[in-house]
Amino acid sequence: MQNQILYVWYLLTAVTILAALLVVLAKNPIHSVLSLVVTFFCLSAHYVLLNAQFLAVVNIIVYAGAIMVLFLFVIMFLNLREYTEETKSNFAKLGAAVVGGVTLVAIIAALKKVQYPMPMRYDVRTGFVETLGEVLFRDYLLPFELVTVLFFVAMVGAVMLGKREKGERHF
Amino acid sequence: MLSIISLSIFGIVNLFLGFLKSRRILLPATLLFLIVALILNSMDWNQQALYFGDMLRVNNVFVNFAGIVLITALLIVGISRHFGNDEEHTHPAEYYAILLFSVTGALMMIGFENLIMLFVGVEVLSVAMYVLTGTDKRNIRSNEAALKYFLMGSFATGLLLFGVAMVYGATGSFKLGGIASYVQMASMYGAVSPLLYVGLLFLFIGMLFKVSAAPFHFWTPDVYEGAPTIFTAFMSTVVKTAGFAAFYKIASTAFAGVYGFWAQSLAVMAVLTLLIGNITAAYQGSFKRMMAYSSISHAGYLLLAVVAKVPSSQSAILFYSLSYSLATVAAFGVLMAVSESRQFEGRGDDRYEAFNGLAKTNPLLAFVLTVSMLSLAGIPLTAGFWGKFFIFSAAVQANLTSLLVIAVLMSCVGIYYYFRVIIAMYLKPAEGEGISVSAGFTLTLVLTTVLTLLLGVFPDVVKNIF
Repeated sequence: MQNQILYVWYLLTAVTILAALLVVLAKNPIHSVLSLVVTFFCLSAHYVLLNAQFLAVVNIIVYAGAIMVLFLFVIMFLNLREYTEETKSNFAKLGAAVVGGVTLVAIIAALKKVQYPMPMRYDVRTGFVETLGEVLFRDYLLPFELVTVLFFVAMVGAVMLGKREKGERHF
Repeated sequence: MLSIISLSIFGIVNLFLGFLKSRRILLPATLLFLIVALILNSMDWNQQALYFGDMLRVNNVFVNFAGIVLITALLIVGISRHFGNDEEHTHPAEYYAILLFSVTGALMMIGFENLIMLFVGVEVLSVAMYVLTGTDKRNIRSNEAALKYFLMGSFATGLLLFGVAMVYGATGSFKLGGIASYVQMASMYGAVSPLLYVGLLFLFIGMLFKVSAAPFHFWTPDVYEGAPTIFTAFMSTVVKTAGFAAFYKIASTAFAGVYGFWAQSLAVMAVLTLLIGNITAAYQGSFKRMMAYSSISHAGYLLLAVVAKVPSSQSAILFYSLSYSLATVAAFGVLMAVSESRQFEGRGDDRYEAFNGLAKTNPLLAFVLTVSMLSLAGIPLTAGFWGKFFIFSAAVQANLTSLLVIAVLMSCVGIYYYFRVIIAMYLKPAEGEGISVSAGFTLTLVLTTVLTLLLGVFPDVVKNIF
């Protein structure tokens, strides 16, 4: 049983990384978005393996469902296919490659040296909604409430910036 | 604590006030809300308290920093006579509401005791700033600035979050106390998890981006120039004060055990920030852009106090933030008045030439700007001198001699570009006629000047509180 879970994990991780790479490398923005959906589904599967079922479902509903559909809509509306990629100078490309490479090496080196503590105990209830609710409304009550201010600012801002003013044309 | 709750409610009230026919009530209402929050804040004096399961710590440091942020916000609201010239395209209720919400975010950043609170606070403040940057919708520069700020800011927030996750992975705690005790234990046994180091660097990069320290400063000049001047003033004072409060708190409490690790990289960044900020500022032709680079250079001085990490660093940062905020609000206030009445190439003139002969047409505005420039340059008898003095003495205590030499040299460079505008005002012939400003606007500007001079002559008045 242990081994089978490990195989599933390897498969999922490989698919996740491939899909994530495709998001960046795909020329067509629609392919990009679709592979992002695949990435989100794989991440949700990881959550299930980590015993966080509720998080997995929410991730699929919110990210793979709502936000990605919005992305697709926007891309289809804007018709980005005619968009020609702006060429960056070689110096900028070299700089980006060096910075990205160094960060990658640093993270890999750090992760290789880390000794992971064994989980204390296995509790099947860890990922249940009840447990999550208890933590959220008891320990993290203040940030939970103050996040509403964040959403409120974002909403007010989006409406204000997106509102059509007098004298502007319709799209 | 009450100040945070009340400000988030006042923001919503402000939005509802926007339904009223008359817009005149908005400015006094916002001033009243901020004063109430300031009173509620000062009621927390000498009360040591942890709220909501160690999420927020209220102590005198919180009260001091929150007081500076609230006073700065008050002054900025005081000079916001009307947002933009045409009545039809502005939404003052929304602007004031978002301003109040962003102050809430700043207070969260100052008082956080848990990294989740830090993240929420940073996000509230940043999202509010992205929106306010783009409020001048018909100005293409404002649009560009908002988009640029948003894209780069969300990238920095991503790094911050990544860092928080890795610090959690290494220490198993989001709480400052929990992280601090892990770091102390682990560094005693020489077994600090490498994840902590990577996480710490990512977290610091995220924070340094928000306070626009080099080499994460590239967004600053464009965003400061594109944003409406009133919001540029807000961005360069409130965001910087709150950012350094949070940054010093996390560096001096949670990561005090690995000081040797981060002090090196921060020292390099402080030197870079000082050099880039000051030398580039000297080349600018626009006053507004010069102020953007000058704000980068002031981040460098504040970083010096963080690198020193001696007990007096805290009060040095407090005093410096206060003097810097007062002088910056005055400078941007005068710039607003000048650039609104003098046009250049179809928009407000923010070049040095716009200030030519201001001393003859508007002696009061010229005097206010002169005092503010002297304070920013660190000339004695102004608050800025003592700000620099306290920072430098903190650096002396920590034996940062080479850093100190660079900082002193760079403040000499600062004198050059701050005096350019003074020379333009007093020695160049006047162009155009005088600028008429309202009484409230003048009163606010005079208040900043008086405070700057008062703190310059009697720094102990405030220094004893900090």
